[in-house]
Amino acid sequence: MDIQEKLEILSDAAKYDASCSSSGSNRKNSSNGIGNGDISGICHSWGADGRCISLLKILMTNCCMYDCKYCINRRTNAVPRATFTPREIADLTIGFYKRNYIEGLFLSSAVIKSADYTTELMIQAITILRNEYNFHGYIHAKTIPGSSQELIDQLGKLVDRMSVNIELPSNDSLKLLAPDKSKLDIVKPMSYISNKLENNQRLLSTFSKKRNFSLSPVTKYQKEKFVPAGQTTQMIIGATPETDLKIIKLSESLYNTMKLKRVYYSAYVSINKDSCLPTLDKPPLLRENRLYQADWLLRFYGFHADELLEEKHPNFNTFLDPKCDWALRNIDKFPVEINKASYSMLLRVPGIGVISAKRIITARRSFSLNFENLKKLGVVLKRARYFITCNGKYFDKISSFNPSFINENLLMLEKRSTPSKNNYSQLSLFENSLPTKGDVIKCLTGNF
Amino acid sequence: MFNWKLLKTIYLYDGTLNGLFTIAFDCYIFKSIPSNIIFEDNYISNFLDTAIYIKTDNEKSSRIWNGLYNNVSYDTLYNCYYAFLSCQKNKEINILKYILKAFIDGPKINTMLHIDYVLEVMKLRKNVLHESHRLKGLTRLSEINKNLFYASIHPDNNVIELLGHFFIKRFPLQNLILHDKNRNLLFLYNSQNPNNYEIISSPSNFNISNYSIEEIEFQNLWKTFFKNISIKERTNPRLQMQYMPKKYWQNLTELK
Ligand code: SF4
Repeated sequence: MDIQEKLEILSDAAKYDASCSSSGSNRKNSSNGIGNGDISGICHSWGADGRCISLLKILMTNCCMYDCKYCINRRTNAVPRATFTPREIADLTIGFYKRNYIEGLFLSSAVIKSADYTTELMIQAITILRNEYNFHGYIHAKTIPGSSQELIDQLGKLVDRMSVNIELPSNDSLKLLAPDKSKLDIVKPMSYISNKLENNQRLLSTFSKKRNFSLSPVTKYQKEKFVPAGQTTQMIIGATPETDLKIIKLSESLYNTMKLKRVYYSAYVSINKDSCLPTLDKPPLLRENRLYQADWLLRFYGFHADELLEEKHPNFNTFLDPKCDWALRNIDKFPVEINKASYSMLLRVPGIGVISAKRIITARRSFSLNFENLKKLGVVLKRARYFITCNGKYFDKISSFNPSFINENLLMLEKRSTPSKNNYSQLSLFENSLPTKGDVIKCLTGNF
Repeated sequence: MFNWKLLKTIYLYDGTLNGLFTIAFDCYIFKSIPSNIIFEDNYISNFLDTAIYIKTDNEKSSRIWNGLYNNVSYDTLYNCYYAFLSCQKNKEINILKYILKAFIDGPKINTMLHIDYVLEVMKLRKNVLHESHRLKGLTRLSEINKNLFYASIHPDNNVIELLGHFFIKRFPLQNLILHDKNRNLLFLYNSQNPNNYEIISSPSNFNISNYSIEEIEFQNLWKTFFKNISIKERTNPRLQMQYMPKKYWQNLTELK
């Protein structure tokens, strides 16, 4: 089989992975090498589905010994199968990278022969890249459930990011749909990686203390550094009955206990027919979008899962985004005075994102802000105007603070701005937020 | 601004940052501000204005350069550089005022966003960096022959140098020709001489149409990948266009 055919099969089989981020690594190039990391990540293209393309996202092989019900590559599906050699992967990556098609490689795989055998193949490919081609670009590797700790260790020293996919939001669903994978297979490597990452931190602090004496410990540290861009995971949304509340609580605990960089949500695409699976005409994209919005609020806006949803209303409002919805349920906390409110309260105002809040804080140090100033600073008032005052004054024509009036207006806005077709994406979240520099870039690149 | 003399005169200059810094130096010394600053080639004379040409003086411009760097801040100097790369018409006069104000107020200038020209310089900077970041991803290098790569770009702002730097760091062993077709500029880098690069103007008919054999193969592989990696059930051309506006498509292998 020629390389063109293999690429066709193995990129097609890899496309359901939502992650394509190249952020979080600032790996340096060497004078005789190729490639470097860009801390905020770079998008190189956008596919016909509007998702960013940053990495060469492929499977080592799609020959699988497992039979996960939702997966196109499951053992019992009759699909064309192919396997790359490690060298083919390396050559393809370099060929694409040299031409600036990509930021690097996202290598994943189905399970061929055994978990360890598969991981070894992946390590071989990545070793060729790092050691033979002197490649310092971004590499994201997915761990294969059930592979040994030694191999995960080896892999972790070579790559920038690793992910262990949690696949489904509960243990029951996992048992039902991915009978070959156990919860332990997922949680064990995840917590192993997370412990190693904490070690990273310790290493960094000891080495940087020594930095004044000689440079070599720092270089040594870079060599030893384990997955510098951290770990991520992904779960499928809409194939199983979990509520939004259950899902974001799971994400919250993953962020807190496993120190994950990101949780990705992937709207379920009905590929296989099975009595355990729902048949959906379309992937639940709005729901996926709401979860990304809520996830954003957890990570950058200081919200807790319990504030966003409760047992009585365990699913997100289809009409209002989670932040507006929260604000309306907590209307007693508003209006907020722009010239006095704390940073954390500014962040809770619908329509005010991280950048706007920071700008407000900076600007109000030198003078007191009115609505005109806010506009100049680039603060979008479309939603925010209902929730704020400037020096005690409301936005014009809003004479008093009236919750039902606000509700109506927000719904109207939402209707107008919700595109008729399924124009949702994880990416549109960048519109009014620019989280930490390391996570993402302005550039509204929408790079994850 | 500060009670300096506001002249009715327009200053013309050679279109370089050193030229603009020379003007800033003169303004600082004479405590006066011109009514506008225009690149000489773009100036259409008009018998109502008085315009004088200020000759670039590297001595004067390096005084401004060092003054910003040492007495204000590194960021402030860089803000001037980035804003200067913008394609905005009135950038020069705003940058000038920004420089003069920076010498008076020091590094806190960058928080004084209620002043029009400060905000304007910040916006220009953001716009330039935004475009250059975008093009870091949306530029395709094609191999003409063994290890010589060529890319054409059509940027709004003059970002060729920013991009060139980026590629040299990333691909120190690849020889590179970057071609800004909107400005007819070439950025040239020879890997034998890694600490150097050149920016020259290109003949307007400069074009590349022959590629190496390997190049054609990789272009096809890339097109295959591009097609297969998107999910049919999620097809959304509107979203694609929103992130990757049509104006970039002409230089993208995968969309040709
Ligand atoms: S292990 Fe399961 S999810 Fe992974 S490729 Fe095999 S069948 Fe698909």
